Amino acid sequence: MIRLFIVLVAAAVAAPVMAKPIAFADGTTVMAEYGAGTMQELQIFYAPRFDYSIGGGHVDFTSDEDSQTNHITYARLNWLAHRWNLDDAQANVFVWGGLGSATGNSFSGSTFTGNAGGQADYETRRVYASLKSDLQRSSQFSVRVDTLQLGVAPYKHDYGGIATWFVFQARHYTDNLHSGIETAALLRLFKGGAWIEAGVTNAGKLQAMAMFNF
Amino acid sequence: MKRFQLHLCLLLLTVSATGTAATIEMTVNGLVCAFCAQGIEKKLKKFPATAEVVVNLEHRLVAVSLKEGQDISDADLLKALKDAGYTVKSIERNDTPIADVREKLKQVKP
Repeated sequence: MIRLFIVLVAAAVAAPVMAKPIAFADGTTVMAEYGAGTMQELQIFYAPRFDYSIGGGHVDFTSDEDSQTNHITYARLNWLAHRWNLDDAQANVFVWGGLGSATGNSFSGSTFTGNAGGQADYETRRVYASLKSDLQRSSQFSVRVDTLQLGVAPYKHDYGGIATWFVFQARHYTDNLHSGIETAALLRLFKGGAWIEAGVTNAGKLQAMAMFNF
Repeated sequence: MKRFQLHLCLLLLTVSATGTAATIEMTVNGLVCAFCAQGIEKKLKKFPATAEVVVNLEHRLVAVSLKEGQDISDADLLKALKDAGYTVKSIERNDTPIADVREKLKQVKP
């Protein structure tokens, strides 16, 4: 338990409440995630307005169950379908879609891919919840990653200060990438436009993400 | 003549001081994270009349201090915040220097 705490504190630096495909109007978001060896993803998006962003990314999937790997590079459009601005809270529904190309060790050459997904989230300055589903589909494979995050902040942060969040994550992979539900305990820190989170999964693997908005 | 000029100067100074608010304070809904604040700050700093922007999550406050003799209309502010993705609940104009607003925010608990 102490080792887990030390790992979390040491790995985390500074980050906001929940990763969103659109940070703010006229803003650029760069995000990198290391998903316990099963999924590694890098994304960059630019938002001309607060309600949509364009960009792309690259994701690598490596199955825990067999030796299958897929490498997908895609372009994507993210759209904020609805936002609720409440007195002390905010809730959002995002959807996205894109096209790309993939290679893998279970087929030869490259294959055309389609990407679709969505996210619903709710946050105050002390609690948040998000549910995200992301599908990458081709004639050779179909991978969907569903992620639930529940977070609690030990104190209310303010702009300019460091925000701290304790996050529980549950993730489900399809296409035989991972057996069962993968859970993780994360420490998330952010300040200004920088966010870093890190933790360990129930299998003892590293789960980490960094995001920068500017 | 000199006394008349002095009175005229004082009058002009008074008109100038009261004709334009030093600070505009807005209460904003949905203001819960640093990214929200960052986006709003970036948007408001694009107005040529903006001298400084203060965003405070605790009080849901966005304050804009204006450059001397310049102004931003309520309509332009409402549009800017709407375009940033947020909802303005109220706008108040006053002569409070932005440094005093900062100090007040440190002291006053909601």
